Amino acid sequence: MADAAIARESTTAPMLAVRGLNAWYGESHILHGVDFDVARGEVVTLLGRNGAGKTTTLKSIMGIVPRREGSIVFEGRETIRMSSNRIAQSGIAWCPEERGIFASLDVEENLMLPPVVGEGGLPVAQIFELFPNLRERLHSPGTKLSGGEQQMLAIGRILRTGARLLLLDEPTEGLAPVIVQQIGRTIAKLKERGFTILLVEQNFRFAATVADRHYVMEHGRIIDMIPNEALGASMGKLHDYLGV
Amino acid sequence: MNSLKRSIVSLAIGAALAAGAAQAQISDGVIKIGVLNDMSGTYADLAGPGSVVAARMAVEDFRAAAKGMKVEILSGDHQNKPDVGSNIARQWYDVDKVDVIVDVPTSSVVLAVNEVTRQKGKALLVSTGATSDLSGKACNASSVHWTYDTWMLANGTGSAIVKTGGDSWFFLTADYAFGHALERDTEAVVLKNGGKVVGKVRHPFPSSDFSSFLLQAQASKAKVIGLANAGADTINAIKQGAEFGIVKGGQQFAGLLVFLTDVHALGLNTAQGLLLTESFYWDLNDQTRAFARRFGALHKGAMPTMAHAGVYASVLHYLKAVEASKTDDGVKVVAKMKELPTDDPLFGKGVVRQDGRKIHQVYLFEVKKPSESKGAWDYYKVRATIPAEQAFRPMADGGCPLVK
Amino acid sequence: MTEIFGIPTQALAGQLLIGLINGAFYAMLSLGLAVIFGLLNIINFTHGAQYMMGAFAAWLLLSKLGIGYWWSLLIAPVALGAFGVLIERTMLSRLYKLDHLYGLLLTFGLALVLQGLFQNEYGSSGQPYRLPQEFAGAFDLGFMMLPRYRAWVVVASLIVCLTTWYVIERTKLGSYLRAATENPTVVQAFGVNVPRMITLTYGFGVGLAALAGVMAAPIYQVSPQMGANLIIVVFAVVVIGGMGSIGGAILTGFGLGVIEGLTKVFYPEASNTVIFVIMVIVLLIRPAGLFGKER
Repeated sequence: MADAAIARESTTAPMLAVRGLNAWYGESHILHGVDFDVARGEVVTLLGRNGAGKTTTLKSIMGIVPRREGSIVFEGRETIRMSSNRIAQSGIAWCPEERGIFASLDVEENLMLPPVVGEGGLPVAQIFELFPNLRERLHSPGTKLSGGEQQMLAIGRILRTGARLLLLDEPTEGLAPVIVQQIGRTIAKLKERGFTILLVEQNFRFAATVADRHYVMEHGRIIDMIPNEALGASMGKLHDYLGV
Repeated sequence: MNSLKRSIVSLAIGAALAAGAAQAQISDGVIKIGVLNDMSGTYADLAGPGSVVAARMAVEDFRAAAKGMKVEILSGDHQNKPDVGSNIARQWYDVDKVDVIVDVPTSSVVLAVNEVTRQKGKALLVSTGATSDLSGKACNASSVHWTYDTWMLANGTGSAIVKTGGDSWFFLTADYAFGHALERDTEAVVLKNGGKVVGKVRHPFPSSDFSSFLLQAQASKAKVIGLANAGADTINAIKQGAEFGIVKGGQQFAGLLVFLTDVHALGLNTAQGLLLTESFYWDLNDQTRAFARRFGALHKGAMPTMAHAGVYASVLHYLKAVEASKTDDGVKVVAKMKELPTDDPLFGKGVVRQDGRKIHQVYLFEVKKPSESKGAWDYYKVRATIPAEQAFRPMADGGCPLVK
Repeated sequence: MTEIFGIPTQALAGQLLIGLINGAFYAMLSLGLAVIFGLLNIINFTHGAQYMMGAFAAWLLLSKLGIGYWWSLLIAPVALGAFGVLIERTMLSRLYKLDHLYGLLLTFGLALVLQGLFQNEYGSSGQPYRLPQEFAGAFDLGFMMLPRYRAWVVVASLIVCLTTWYVIERTKLGSYLRAATENPTVVQAFGVNVPRMITLTYGFGVGLAALAGVMAAPIYQVSPQMGANLIIVVFAVVVIGGMGSIGGAILTGFGLGVIEGLTKVFYPEASNTVIFVIMVIVLLIRPAGLFGKER
């Protein structure tokens, strides 16, 4: 398959290997054979227009689409048949596009909600270093935070758990440039600490500042892979893909 | 909520083949008896399926099959709702060709069914329904009121209690036709015997919590708390009364309508000493005991209540009247029932008066102490026997239009 | 003597207390309903039948096995909780993706079936459950006799309600429950076994109903109808309090018990209706209920 050839050749097994992934919502067939890899320690983005299947790909990895087929191997284990709680327990954490902050929980409860799934999670003190705003608002209801603070909370809470692969769905959407920069710095810090990140982005300028590689999606498939160093050379192509 | 539950018990199928002279006047060749009562609610134990058993026993004892009469029994659940009851009655009379409806607890329902029966010219034999209006202003040529009524209960229990010093009363009354009638009739008896009524409270029917009403009764300082209700309402009131120390505080309950099954449910510990009036008890004599044994074998070992006995006796007398009048025309059969003297193993000899009131002797019972009871269902001792002529309201006082 | 609207204040105080006692049952039952509705999105019409079965369990334990009240308080809720788990696993769990109506129909049908089975087996008059010896007698409060058992009911129910409230609103476990009520997908994607939590929550709700049933057994006749009579009122309580609100269910339960108690003094004929009148008024003014959130 042509798509499969795009997946990076690697001597060591990738942390996450997605092969022939298909997904459906009811009658609508969203993913049509998605193939890609993420290596340990990498920051990889999924780029593409609205409706290309980026979010569905994350949700499929997380095990929360109604129906999926194909293969998703995480750290050598096939997860395609697992329920989402077992996938989470195996070390993947998800930060949903709509952030998933709980209105009936205060900030502290939101932050402490995700159970610890492994060693190596960030201590709460370090999360507060990354996002000082959270410390000040610990006892406000989760949804009383500003959009940026909610996004920090949504990312912060999954850093505690010891998950090794973070799936971030459009963390910069609708946020002020200062906040976007802060999130960019955070991603860079997380990468330094050894987190592996799969990022869905519409904003490829932001993606370019944080990612190692970019996969481009269209109509439920991966149609291209661009290493970050080649991004400048591929601008024309990318404008075509994304229609910007 | 329960959908109309109907079970059809077909009897004497073989006999139907032998078409005798007796059924010449019987419409469609079958006498259909509809047992209409509360099959699943608060009155299901004191009447309910047991009434169907009693009706079936009456058909057997009448030897309908041997006499070449084909008799069928239907049953229906009126859920204690007048509209449901009158709809079933109409359906039975118009579509299912039912000739007679029997039992019918819940006064509001029986008054509605009584009216339907009168319009259709069929027959109604009331056993469990209590309101004395059935032989009073609501009386008609289609109905017989067999077992007891509110006047009889009031007279039996009310006068006995007033005469033994219980002369100030507080009524706990179920807020519908039956409760109102019972309260009215008892109040009249209390006043006539020189007592007074210090208060009353009307509770919704059915209720499960009586504590608030009991507290009001307690505060009234009345010597007697008259329970003008029935079934589960009476049971709960007495049970919760024990909890609030009503009897310990020197007040006394008068269960104006208490059935054997209610005492069974309360247990002798709680019910002991209660005075009540009934026209039948299974342990009165050899005949009632024999009936009770047969009944128990067919009805999970439970003993018959006076409601069941009334269904049995009224159906038996009805069939005799059909046989004698050679018709199943409701008004004609009821007229024949009034003409023939009654005689059955449960109530003995008696008559059906012109106003439809069946009269027989009634008993004032006292509930035994646990130490006095020899075993299951041994609950009553007879305190007094009231002769038939005194037990029921004089015909002249009822205001029945049939009485000239 | 001082009077309010012709009722002596002392009598009124007694009636308020009685109302509080009835409110205790409303609160415990509506609490279970609210917890179940919150997480399962199912209106558990079987709740009344489960309450009735709790009372029957106590009666059966005592009359068949000689096991007394205190053990029944433990055994009946656990046994019925297990029964609830079975129902959730085999039936309810198939309905979550469908409309509310299916859950309502299933639980309503189940209630009728269970009630019918008990009616068939034990009749309608009910079975007497002897008051435990420890509770014989009453406290003389001056303005009323307060039966010891009723006092215990209020205290026990308050403890149960407040504990439940505390667990749900103030603990880690409770934060999972609240979060899953809002967004089960995200909570499960954090690694929480949400389906199992739902099952256990249903079991817990049923256990609460059974506990209320055991506590009701010595007061009311243990009869197949006891749940059906109560559950409609309890639904009104839940609607007034606001669907899914835990604190709302508790406060409304006690509050409406008191209001109903007062109605029994001033206009007893309306005491069965007053809660529904309040329900209509509340729904007109605040469709989400007094403590509910607009969704």
